[in-house]
Amino acid sequence: MIASLWSSIDAVWSSPLLRRAAAEAALVGVLGGVIGVHVSLRRLAFTTMALTHATFPGVVIASLLGWNLVLGSSAFGLLVVAAIALAGGLGRLDHTTTTGVILAGGMALGVVLVSVQDGFSTNLSAYLVGSVLSTSGSDLALTAAISAVVCGFVLAAHRPLVASAFDPAGVRAAGLAASAVDVGFLVVLVVTLATAVPAVGTILSVSLVVAPAATARLWTDRVGTMLVISPVIGALCGAGGVILSHWWDTSAGATIAAVAGAVFVGSTLISPSTVSLRSPGRSARRQTALR
Amino acid sequence: MLPALVLDDMSVSFDGALALQHVSGIVAAGDSVALIGPNGAGKSTLLRAILGLVPLAAGSIEVLGQAPKAARRQVAYVPQADTFDPQFPISVIDVVTMGRAPIIGWWRRPRSVDRRAAAAALERVGLSERSRDRFGTLSGGQRQRVLLARAICQEARLLLLDEPFNGVDAVTQTTLIDVLDELRANGVAVVMATHDLAVAHLACGDACLLNRDQIAFGPIDEVLNSRHLRATYGDRPWVHVGDQVILANAAPSTR
Amino acid sequence: MAWLTESFSLPFMQRALVIALIVGAVGGVLSAYVVIRRLAFFADTLTHTVFPGVAIASVLVQPLWIGALIAGLASTLAFTFLSRQRLVEDNAAMAVILTTFFAVGVMVVSRVTTFTNDLITLLFGQILTVDRGDIMASALLGGCAVLLTSVLHRELVARAFDPEGSAAAGRPVWALDLALNVAVTLVVVAALRAVGTVLVLALLVTPAATIRPWVRGVVPMAIGGALVGMSSGVIGLVIAYQASVERDVRLAPGATIVLVMTTVFALGSLAVWARRSIRHRVST
Repeated sequence: MIASLWSSIDAVWSSPLLRRAAAEAALVGVLGGVIGVHVSLRRLAFTTMALTHATFPGVVIASLLGWNLVLGSSAFGLLVVAAIALAGGLGRLDHTTTTGVILAGGMALGVVLVSVQDGFSTNLSAYLVGSVLSTSGSDLALTAAISAVVCGFVLAAHRPLVASAFDPAGVRAAGLAASAVDVGFLVVLVVTLATAVPAVGTILSVSLVVAPAATARLWTDRVGTMLVISPVIGALCGAGGVILSHWWDTSAGATIAAVAGAVFVGSTLISPSTVSLRSPGRSARRQTALR
Repeated sequence: MLPALVLDDMSVSFDGALALQHVSGIVAAGDSVALIGPNGAGKSTLLRAILGLVPLAAGSIEVLGQAPKAARRQVAYVPQADTFDPQFPISVIDVVTMGRAPIIGWWRRPRSVDRRAAAAALERVGLSERSRDRFGTLSGGQRQRVLLARAICQEARLLLLDEPFNGVDAVTQTTLIDVLDELRANGVAVVMATHDLAVAHLACGDACLLNRDQIAFGPIDEVLNSRHLRATYGDRPWVHVGDQVILANAAPSTR
Repeated sequence: MAWLTESFSLPFMQRALVIALIVGAVGGVLSAYVVIRRLAFFADTLTHTVFPGVAIASVLVQPLWIGALIAGLASTLAFTFLSRQRLVEDNAAMAVILTTFFAVGVMVVSRVTTFTNDLITLLFGQILTVDRGDIMASALLGGCAVLLTSVLHRELVARAFDPEGSAAAGRPVWALDLALNVAVTLVVVAALRAVGTVLVLALLVTPAATIRPWVRGVVPMAIGGALVGMSSGVIGLVIAYQASVERDVRLAPGATIVLVMTTVFALGSLAVWARRSIRHRVST
């Protein structure tokens, strides 16, 4: 067993193709981990889910037109963001329901567009679970560039991002253009997802955005520390997932997501209990008992 | 000296219905006004209008001689403590330091003078030893004090508070009143929404009674009489205790 | 109207129509409860957690729906239990569970079968190849789901609009939640062959979301939702058939149905906005 694991590690290390795949997965893990911290603070997990599903048609249209997938799906994603914002204002429906409608509708549109072409099944599954094993050198370079830009944004905008997540009414009262920060963040999120989707697929890119940050939250009470731990976890899940998928002969994208999830579940069991994602009532009771 | 706040027959409407109308009054530096009325009377709406967050349907508001949006730097807002997510990973001192943002801008890192101001404000409300703890681990009253410390940091000339005494402990109530008195002595004007008439008497010199319409605006002892209270609260039971007026319960208005 | 009868002249289209009507009606009714409880994300998570069990069952047990039902109910029980612990109330935790379960399902399928085809079929359905057995299964499961929600209707509505009151009155809230989750699972399994696990969410949310601004009360929402669901099914199938026959354009029928439903929702939203603007202009 251990011999097989070791031989997989060795295989990934020595094959340029697999090395690139592991590097791409690690980079996407870093990207997701960093953005994921703010997704967690702003409680945007479901919106992220909706964005991946709803930007799916953009990926399809981009590939139909021969555009770069990342750019194409980014453009479509921005349209979706606008649609969600608009839909919130139009009807009397709650945000959850509207997001659910857009999520399923976007997915259906993408599936229909894919079905029009030949090779329905293979194309569709590539979108769903990604094709990290076919990462090219230029893909890797693009991911690295986007990661650098996104991390730069998160660092520079740290204070406005945290403040507007913690006290949106208060920062607006004090004159900060909170909506501009929110929209700016969604744009960066869309770009992140557009980068992650070709690698690990639509549904699974949510995993790298949500799980490492959720895991980091279980281990620390401070945003700054989260911003360090989360990308590290993401990178390890990415590269580790590629290695494990080689060992087990399973889909790479799925294995990465499963690893990220397993790390989260494991952490819920062994992390210090004063910090948790449990509902406020429960932990507040625990706090008073400890004091 | 320029009055902190001038309200001139102002009205606010939502969705075609008037939420607040005919509110007038002047708040000078060092004054403190209690906004009194049942839930839905428009107290929060008035605060938001002073902050320039809702447009006026009629009349005008002047904050320190300027339009509300222009004067934001000089206006500090203290919300209710339970509007925040207790799980949010932010420390007490970081919350207080946020109060410096209107001074230095949202994008710059706090300087040492800012950190000293935040530490001093936290000391003022008696919570220095909790400075590194997560904000959500404090009790409701303690969190309310932290939010006041945040407002102190801003060095504003007008302080707006939304139900600051709701469900707080005795230590917090005393601390809040003491700090507000000190601020008033330094020329800061205070406007506080509250439905606790006893505390209003302790903390404020003036009162504005609201029930969508302005019932009265003036010195608290004059304004809090039976006639005005009946007009504000309808037929809710209230009693005189000495020269104080106490509401039997402050349940929401049925209007 | 010739194109209507023409579209359904072939037996496989007729079967597709019947199952689309069943699933559209049942989903539409359930969607009323999903919407009033704001359970769209929870329902999304549920459909994804059911997937791995369904994937494994599809390999082991035939017909598909029996294995899927067993696996689905097992996942639902586990998931409802977990959320009782309040461990997974947070959206982030739900998202992680959702993607992890889904990933496990994909891993199983990728190891065991001719990966792509089966994965796609499970996820998006294959409505044109349903047989009589599938139709009976859908009718049975869908009927049970509607029965369950009808019997518990008053409790479910009370739970939605006054959760503290329900709990205070001693109602077993967890049993109610479990019942609704089971009903949702039954719909997911019923819709497996028609639209698959990913798109069934639309059936469980969009119909009631479309009808809600136009009716008052949960029962009208359920009935209206059923009508929206059924008519979307008919229109979607007609469009898919006509596109294929007249213009030689292949459109995945299950996804087309969902697309029609979403378009109706979008048009409905515009109409709501128009109605509100007109009212506002008239009153001021």
